[in-house]
Amino acid sequence: MKNYDPADIVITGAGIITAAAQGKAAVTDTLLQARSAFAVMQRPGRQHNTAFVGAEIPEIIYPAHFSKKLLRSITLTGGAALVAVEEAWQEARLSGVPPHRIGLITGGSNFQQRELMQIIDAYREKPVFIRPAYGISFMDTDVCGLCTEVFNIRGMSYSAGGASASGQLAVLQAIQAVQSGQVDVCIALGALMDLSFWELQSLRTLGAMGSSKYADDPAAACRPFDRNRDGFIYGECSGAVVIERMTTAAERQVQPYAAISGWAMAMDGNRNPNPSYDGECAVIRQALEKAGIHPKDIDYINPHGSGSLVGDETELQALQDCGLAHAFINTTKSITGHGLTAAGMVEVIAVILQMKAGMLHPCRNLEDPADPSFNWVRETLQHEIRHALSLSFGFGGINTALCLRRL
Amino acid sequence: MNVEEIFQVIVQHTREIIPELEEHAFRFNDQLKELGANSIDRAEIIALTMDSLSIQVPMLDLSGAQNMGELATLFHEKL
Repeated sequence: MKNYDPADIVITGAGIITAAAQGKAAVTDTLLQARSAFAVMQRPGRQHNTAFVGAEIPEIIYPAHFSKKLLRSITLTGGAALVAVEEAWQEARLSGVPPHRIGLITGGSNFQQRELMQIIDAYREKPVFIRPAYGISFMDTDVCGLCTEVFNIRGMSYSAGGASASGQLAVLQAIQAVQSGQVDVCIALGALMDLSFWELQSLRTLGAMGSSKYADDPAAACRPFDRNRDGFIYGECSGAVVIERMTTAAERQVQPYAAISGWAMAMDGNRNPNPSYDGECAVIRQALEKAGIHPKDIDYINPHGSGSLVGDETELQALQDCGLAHAFINTTKSITGHGLTAAGMVEVIAVILQMKAGMLHPCRNLEDPADPSFNWVRETLQHEIRHALSLSFGFGGINTALCLRRL
Repeated sequence: MNVEEIFQVIVQHTREIIPELEEHAFRFNDQLKELGANSIDRAEIIALTMDSLSIQVPMLDLSGAQNMGELATLFHEKL
């Protein structure tokens, strides 16, 4: 008998796309090999006399059953959402669940900025001819509508904004939807944040995004927790997980990846982008308490680790003071880039993929760790994760934490 | 531009919005709704056609069109 309780909240399916790979198997390979796709970005609307570095998805491969009409009208965020949900849906065998007992939470807000800017630019001189579909697509809930139409989801669906913690927020909301009985199964989606040069420029000016320091060596730009980091590097990505109770998973004979044993969200009471040691410690301690475990039980940490100068220092201090410096720690963002609204989701999926593989991926570009006393994963190594902690922090004082337990 | 030419503009944009109709042999009595165009698709086709023809016609003025040929005729009257 495995170590689970019928009331356990579990993850029974996952789907993922990053700039370097699409699908769990390919993404697992890229993580374990630390293979990335950073370059000066090329997608229309990303540059304006600039050379912003980031990781872009070269092409989305769609299942053959998606119609041409559907794909014609699809946005980058919508397309990434569909392939992520499709992969999670198939794995969790959701066709066997009544449609009205399935829900979908789209994590993120204002995540189609580049695409909307492109439309506005095209019609700036002739606004009366603007495509009527813009009246729908400018709303984030268009992604909820798209996914619920394609997958015939009839339970509940809404978008939940939590800045760079949106992915984890979607998981938290999905847990609540299942625990409250609103639905039996809830898909949590981390929406691809599609930035235009306006957001990229302002994030750089804020000092949050990396400078042009590595313009001549884009592969070296994304380096969370390294002393030579100077901000986050953007990466396109999206992911989805299926959340339900152990009991419903067992009814469909679906083998879960892991139990979500603890979770927490806390605000700093601070509108600004700066991190909060107190807020981070609060969610770490609350999540551990909810999971009923001690800090020493955590053997792997997937940190927020954006590559921000102050953010990374603050996070390490919080982990240290919460008694977590012993655990293995690596940085998924060093490989995928920072997906902002999708980041928390992609990192939860990175945790369960490593749990399944019995391996931990290395940190890219961690040449001179900000604190060498931590248990950094420098090379791919074998490790059976038992209790993992995943953290996400967002602008506006948002902190979230999740504990995941091997089953 | 005559009615037939306007009809071909509508056909071009219909194929753009509904790629599955690429091989369809369009006729004047074809109805967009019957061809699978939902209300958003129809609004998109009309907006694209008006953009191509550089004319602005209130949607209400087009509501009487029963098929694609009548739609082309209504646009022709507004040119």
